Amino acid sequence: MQLLTEIILTFAAIIGFGIIFSVPRRALLLGGMIGAWTWTALQGSLYLGITNVVATVIASFTAAVIAHFLARRVQLPVTTLSIPGILPLVPGSLAYFTMLSFVESDYINGLEYGVETMLQAGAIAAGLVLALSVFSFRKGIGNRYETGD
Amino acid sequence: MGAKADKVMDVCLRAGEIMLTYGAETYRVEETIERMARAAGFTNVHCFSTTTGIFLSFEEEKGNGDLMQMVRVDDRMQDLNKVTEVNQVSREFTAGDITVQEAERRLEEIYAAKIQYPMWLIHLGAGVAGGGFSYLFGGGLFDFIPAFLAAMVASFTLVTIEGYLRVRFASEIAAAFAGSSTAIALVVLGLGTNMDQIIIGSLMPLVPGVPLTNAVRDLLSGDLLAGMSRGVEALLTSLSIASGVALAISIFL
Repeated sequence: MQLLTEIILTFAAIIGFGIIFSVPRRALLLGGMIGAWTWTALQGSLYLGITNVVATVIASFTAAVIAHFLARRVQLPVTTLSIPGILPLVPGSLAYFTMLSFVESDYINGLEYGVETMLQAGAIAAGLVLALSVFSFRKGIGNRYETGD
Repeated sequence: MGAKADKVMDVCLRAGEIMLTYGAETYRVEETIERMARAAGFTNVHCFSTTTGIFLSFEEEKGNGDLMQMVRVDDRMQDLNKVTEVNQVSREFTAGDITVQEAERRLEEIYAAKIQYPMWLIHLGAGVAGGGFSYLFGGGLFDFIPAFLAAMVASFTLVTIEGYLRVRFASEIAAAFAGSSTAIALVVLGLGTNMDQIIIGSLMPLVPGVPLTNAVRDLLSGDLLAGMSRGVEALLTSLSIASGVALAISIFL
């Protein structure tokens, strides 16, 4: 039940983000669905006992793969779908507590949170990289044009 | 310099300028421009683009009539719809479906077009995003309302101050400050319980999602210069947000 509420709220929040970034109308709902999937994948992996960073890699990788696949099908630049896909993973909470610890001059905790934030951001990037390499197979990374050929 | 070459140069650079301004990856800008110039029949096409400028050079015919021009891109905004539309124009031009004149006309239309969603909808979207994320980060269901209001205040402040101030990071500090102050005020007034989650939610609409994703993409495709500068841009935005919140917290708490 709680997961369902979370997924619905992720969907709504990602559509809100889509409006902020002004993605094309036909990409709004698709982006929301990818975002909802990302959250499901993240929570599912955490439920299976996978650590936070690895779960983030899994969620970001699957989201980016779906984004690349759909971007080709509906002829959209892949960013309009991959950005909504990875937004639920952004370590906003960790970044906030990093800042809060430093403000309260609790430097040790701040460093710990800071390292965690960096790791999570790196995990998102790693997922994106993996998906990109899958989709540029035999094409070379510089020559890709999602919608052409 | 022939009239046609001059025209194609302008059209290509206009396409690149729109894409770079509104948040396309560098590799997409370079590739779009090179494809368009080649489709128009020019040889030895080279395009180099960083986050703040585009250089384009090609030859009118093999061995003579070298042309070179650059544009400086000052503003960076987020409007992925314009990127998509320019992509569409370039695809049709490359396929030979539209002429240079028609491509130019459509690009000017895109350039002059207003953002596709009305302003109130953008603020509303920011509110929903903020409220939703405050719950996802561990707040209660009733924290949605204060986070919604605070995120709308943050978004409204950002847009309003950006209209007056040329320094982007200053308006981000102000937006973060206004958003978190609203969040603190609402919690103190008794609306909502988890102050931390409400503050985080209210700041989520300011997160630099587009530069962050583009930085990763640019670094990977070998555009090291553009990737680094975009990454630094995202970092500066994050630091501005952090200092805005830090200011609000140290004043009011």
